[in-house]
Amino acid sequence: MRIGLILLAVSLHAQVTYERLLNASKHPANWMTYSGRYAGWRYSELDQINRENVKDLKVKWVYQMKTTHVVETTPLVIDGVMYFTEPPSNVVAVDAETGREYWRYHRATPQKVNVCCGQVNRGVAVLGDQVFVGTVDAHLVSLDAKTGAVLWDVEVADYKTGHSITVAPLIVKDMVVTGIAGGEYGIRGFLDAYDSKTGKRRWRFWAVPGPGEKGNDSWSGESWKTGGAPTWVTGSFDPEQNLIIWGTGNPSPDWNGDSRRGDNLYSDSAIALDADTGKLKWYHQFIPHDVHDWDAVQVPVLVDDEWEGRPRKLVYWAHRSAFYFVLDRETGRFLMGKPFATQTWAKGLDESGRPIRLPNTDPSPEGTYIWPGVQGATNWYSPSYNPLTKHFYLATWENRSLYRKGEQEYSPGNRYIGSVPLIDLPDEPGYGAIRALNPKTGDRIWEYKLLTKPWAGVLTTAGRLLFGGSDEGYFFALDAEAGKELWRQNTGGIIRANPISYLSKGKQVVAIAAGSAIFTFERR
Amino acid sequence: MSRCVLFLWAAALLAQQDEVRNPRTSTADVAQGEKTFRSHCSPCHGLKGEGGRGPNLAAGIFYHGSTDADLLRNISNGIDGTEMPGLFYSPDRVWQVIAYIRSLNAAPHEFSAATVAAGEALFNGNACSNCHRVNGVGGRMGPDLSLIGKTRSIDHLRQSILDPNADVRQRYCVVTITDGAGKTVDGFLMNEDTYTIQFIDLAGRLYSVEKRGLKSFKIERASKMPSYKGRLSDDEVSTLVTYLSSLRPAGGAR
Repeated sequence: MRIGLILLAVSLHAQVTYERLLNASKHPANWMTYSGRYAGWRYSELDQINRENVKDLKVKWVYQMKTTHVVETTPLVIDGVMYFTEPPSNVVAVDAETGREYWRYHRATPQKVNVCCGQVNRGVAVLGDQVFVGTVDAHLVSLDAKTGAVLWDVEVADYKTGHSITVAPLIVKDMVVTGIAGGEYGIRGFLDAYDSKTGKRRWRFWAVPGPGEKGNDSWSGESWKTGGAPTWVTGSFDPEQNLIIWGTGNPSPDWNGDSRRGDNLYSDSAIALDADTGKLKWYHQFIPHDVHDWDAVQVPVLVDDEWEGRPRKLVYWAHRSAFYFVLDRETGRFLMGKPFATQTWAKGLDESGRPIRLPNTDPSPEGTYIWPGVQGATNWYSPSYNPLTKHFYLATWENRSLYRKGEQEYSPGNRYIGSVPLIDLPDEPGYGAIRALNPKTGDRIWEYKLLTKPWAGVLTTAGRLLFGGSDEGYFFALDAEAGKELWRQNTGGIIRANPISYLSKGKQVVAIAAGSAIFTFERR
Repeated sequence: MSRCVLFLWAAALLAQQDEVRNPRTSTADVAQGEKTFRSHCSPCHGLKGEGGRGPNLAAGIFYHGSTDADLLRNISNGIDGTEMPGLFYSPDRVWQVIAYIRSLNAAPHEFSAATVAAGEALFNGNACSNCHRVNGVGGRMGPDLSLIGKTRSIDHLRQSILDPNADVRQRYCVVTITDGAGKTVDGFLMNEDTYTIQFIDLAGRLYSVEKRGLKSFKIERASKMPSYKGRLSDDEVSTLVTYLSSLRPAGGAR
């Protein structure tokens, strides 16, 4: 009898230390945080798949979820295990090589949960041997990374007053940082940090300052109490400066600002917080007194590069209002801004970056046509920065909407939006595009046009490729230098998620959620 | 015996449910209900309940129950397995919304059998059925009208007969392509994406073509249906509209 040697595929399962997260970019076999690294680049150092061989990409495995909700998850891959969320708030861990399930956490959610735009979730965070997920009923839950068992479960806010969590948490040191959603329900937005071991809250930054706090006078009357400014997309972290940089959403109610006169700080802003205390270090408000629902919920892209002849710490930010911005990361100072898509509401920006509004561009009872549309020239889906091409990449929309203004009183837990805009104009569907910008000037380098408007983020790689997706269900690869299409696959379901890349058994894999499934691709 | 008790119990429950009546039906309630409807319901159900992403509520047909109690439950709690969320409002506020919704379908749903029959005769006598199918009979080129009374208002039906170009659905836009060999085909648009286009020609042939490689293609939002303005008298149009409006699903409405 021959005795065979059976090699068991055992993952190493080293602890996910904060050190490893800090150095995530040096270990591209894994995809360890929402954006792949703290700087928010959504860039993979892997270059096995390149412009010559990307045509050979084939499906590796598919994981079908049991959900009817839209899947917006960004998977994480750590030491051979892929972790992702299944909406509304479930978590699944699978073998990253085969897609076979290790465990699943099922979150029983209340029957009546009001999330503005679908019961979605954008992913988990991992630290030590714990996985963290926010839930649509506004809890933060810690799970055992090996089994999915619940370690702790804390209420972040009351879901009955319109709070929900759709954002993927961000690990900073030994803390789990989470934002909150509810800008269409008149919540008072905040950003929270929790002790990863105990679930105890370390700090809360109120995105709408209370009485006696700086900025509270930017809200008339009591409007700050229901001022919105949610924090529903994962931010970035600058370890050198110990700064968490995060975007805030629209002031509430969205399309009628009469009850909230003033600039409405810190809605529609980039905020920079001290990671240990949650204290505000600087902010830049993209849209003072927004009445169009143009959240600043984009992933901040942190880059150190030369600016006007000297090295500088920068933030690149393509905002929903169709303006691209560069900010100084040490001070928040506005350095430049320029439209990256069609807009008809601002003459330009003044020297502090404040928009110079054109007359008659606010929502009106009879409706006002404005570019960009209600969903913006871009939205929550991730941009990418590629250090080889030095381009900034994003998915963008070209369309306009009819902005109507209406009356609305606040009532807890119900919509508080102040209007019913006509989001899509039947005879003007608009179009979508992937664009590459020169991040220093905001100038467009190339465009890859799509018939429909995409809700999917972009990934770029050291193979000088860009991966993106469309609502039509196509997952595609473009030459990151020239914007030419090199490969595409019809996945058969809408793509409303961000791609990632990792190594499995030494081979580069690209993954994306499409329809109700996770698709992975490798060269065959 | 136990079955009998169960039956009595169920009957009592039904009777009890039937007794739930909307307590807020004044004009002021309807007005307040409309305000709430506009801000909370109209994004999906349309500004006048005409439907959109959510069903038409103006036809008086509610597939998840049509009693006042059904509406109160569905608006308060949402409907499982659908995109319909619940509202965190007091029952009073929900009753006002129900009063408003009821006011939308105050129009009579009883149709004179004679008028319906006359309308059906006009429908068949004017070649409508060459292109339109009703309950499995007729052509396939135009929209199937078997349930058109549920989804379209009387005004919209009249407009579609007199001015077919006024509102052409995406599916009935006309696509014209010329392929690499110079052959031109046209038909109704069925689907389109960045790279391909799917359509059906007037002979009922299905096409799926890559845009790349076509010499030209265009899509026009213009109807292939002729206008019946001047071809039918006003009375005939009204009779035809009555017939079309009577085409509704069995069940649904109480």
